[in-house]
Amino acid sequence: MELTKNLTLGIYFPGDTTLHCLDPRTKIAGTTGLITLLLFTNNYTAYTFFAAFALALILAAKIPLGFALRGLRPMLPFLAMMWLFQIFFQKPPGSEIIFSWWKLTATDGGLHMGTLMSIRVLLLFLLTTILTLTTSTVELTDGTEALLRPLQRLKVPAQELALTMVIALRFVPTLAEEAEKIIKAQTARGVDFGRGNFIQKIAQLFPVLLPLFINAFRRADEMITAMESRCYTGGTGRTKMKVLRMSKNDYYSWAVLLLFALMQIILIVKIAPPF
Amino acid sequence: MEYLIEFKEATYTYKSSFVDPVQALKQIDLRVKRGEFLAIIGPNGSGKSTLARHFNGLLTPTTGEVLIRGISTASSDPEQLKAIRRQVGMVFQNPDNQLISSIVEEDVAFGPENLGVPPKEIRRRVNHALAALNIFKYRRESISHLSEGQKQLVAIAGVLAMKPDCIVLDEPTALLDPFGRRQVLESLKKLNREEGIAVVFITHFMSEAVHFKRVAVMDQGEIKSDGPPDDIFTRTALLKAAGLDIPVSAQLAEELKGKGFPMAPGILHVEELVNSLCQLKSKI
Repeated sequence: MELTKNLTLGIYFPGDTTLHCLDPRTKIAGTTGLITLLLFTNNYTAYTFFAAFALALILAAKIPLGFALRGLRPMLPFLAMMWLFQIFFQKPPGSEIIFSWWKLTATDGGLHMGTLMSIRVLLLFLLTTILTLTTSTVELTDGTEALLRPLQRLKVPAQELALTMVIALRFVPTLAEEAEKIIKAQTARGVDFGRGNFIQKIAQLFPVLLPLFINAFRRADEMITAMESRCYTGGTGRTKMKVLRMSKNDYYSWAVLLLFALMQIILIVKIAPPF
Repeated sequence: MEYLIEFKEATYTYKSSFVDPVQALKQIDLRVKRGEFLAIIGPNGSGKSTLARHFNGLLTPTTGEVLIRGISTASSDPEQLKAIRRQVGMVFQNPDNQLISSIVEEDVAFGPENLGVPPKEIRRRVNHALAALNIFKYRRESISHLSEGQKQLVAIAGVLAMKPDCIVLDEPTALLDPFGRRQVLESLKKLNREEGIAVVFITHFMSEAVHFKRVAVMDQGEIKSDGPPDDIFTRTALLKAAGLDIPVSAQLAEELKGKGFPMAPGILHVEELVNSLCQLKSKI
């Protein structure tokens, strides 16, 4: 079992394109905006423009197209199933039957709904992938912290939340490595992983999880001592080495995003859905 | 002369409701001056780590006191405790459990960020600390891609960025390979020489203690002896009583002397042994 190799958390694709160098706040807020827009889109023309926009982003970030699309592959079986369900079970008023088989009838309305929904989910996934491919986890946490900071007045502990996220991300590879070591050690002592029925398989997890948990608590304890030694006394009075600053490119991006959003809204309002 | 760190008859007793109290430190008197290069050696359970935790107020003595530039670590003022921890940086055994961020430079910035240093100054300090430890080229690297030795250098850089007067290291090389050990030791020598930072290096490796200008031997919660290394390591009886190994070169020299060979006094390093042996050869 190679756990460390399959870690996809924070799949960052390093680069120095404009998209990579944008302020993380722009990217996070922009992606959120685009996703919201996506939820209201309901015609093929608007989706075509949306897909073209996503494609343009991928090209601008100099990410190989195949690499960006590879992330969508695990989604495909679910999407196919959803698509079939929509075709056979969605019957919007006024839709015509395309064909019927046994007790199932497929309608053209259902076909359109299924297709539109699949495109929507694919684009949604693609947009978040572009965000995580061009933004490192550190930038993501910095951006989230900065966006949450106005909420600090409402007693939302933005700084502490961000630090917790930083430490959690820092320990993902460490704990994965440790789990791998424990699995190997337990295998050497005769635990046969992956054999037996469901209950036996669950029972096999205990000799891995228990030492992992105990060690994690020990690590946390040492971590607290180390943080204390490095003068950590909570969020107040802290400064940051990296100060997020909006650049000219960020303002250009906002202009582009607003124009695109405006165009999409017009398309959504003017063109009727195909069912 | 003002001492940087002063232990005055400090004792520490671990109290627990399950077992009898254990006295881990007994009447410790220890003074560290500015720019000193000190190793504290002792076998497992000799109280080394307990001692280490007294240097920056993680533990405070049960009786007696520990002063950092005249300020007691038992002070209840959080600002004073912060000042003490800035002046006396601490590096622990396991680098994996003391690094906070997954990116090298972000981690080094953690200390100064806590101190409320302005961003530009943090950047300057971080770059300086990374350069001083020869890891500047890894600044954007992920911590998990580094070797254990390099991780420990990052931990030292994180302390250095707080501009300490003294760095205390609690068995920092115990989990490292020989190459990592050498890297850490060389870096500490350089920091001591070039930046004048006092180093207190706690270890049970004799071969490492040899590199220091002053060595204190700890056993059963007491400092048994304290002085320059060639003085300490030639007192083989004392080291053996504490259950410590004598450096191989010193032991060989000692045994040869016992057999009647005229060996030079105070041999610690291999080079010294070789020199002495070569002189022996030319005499024959």
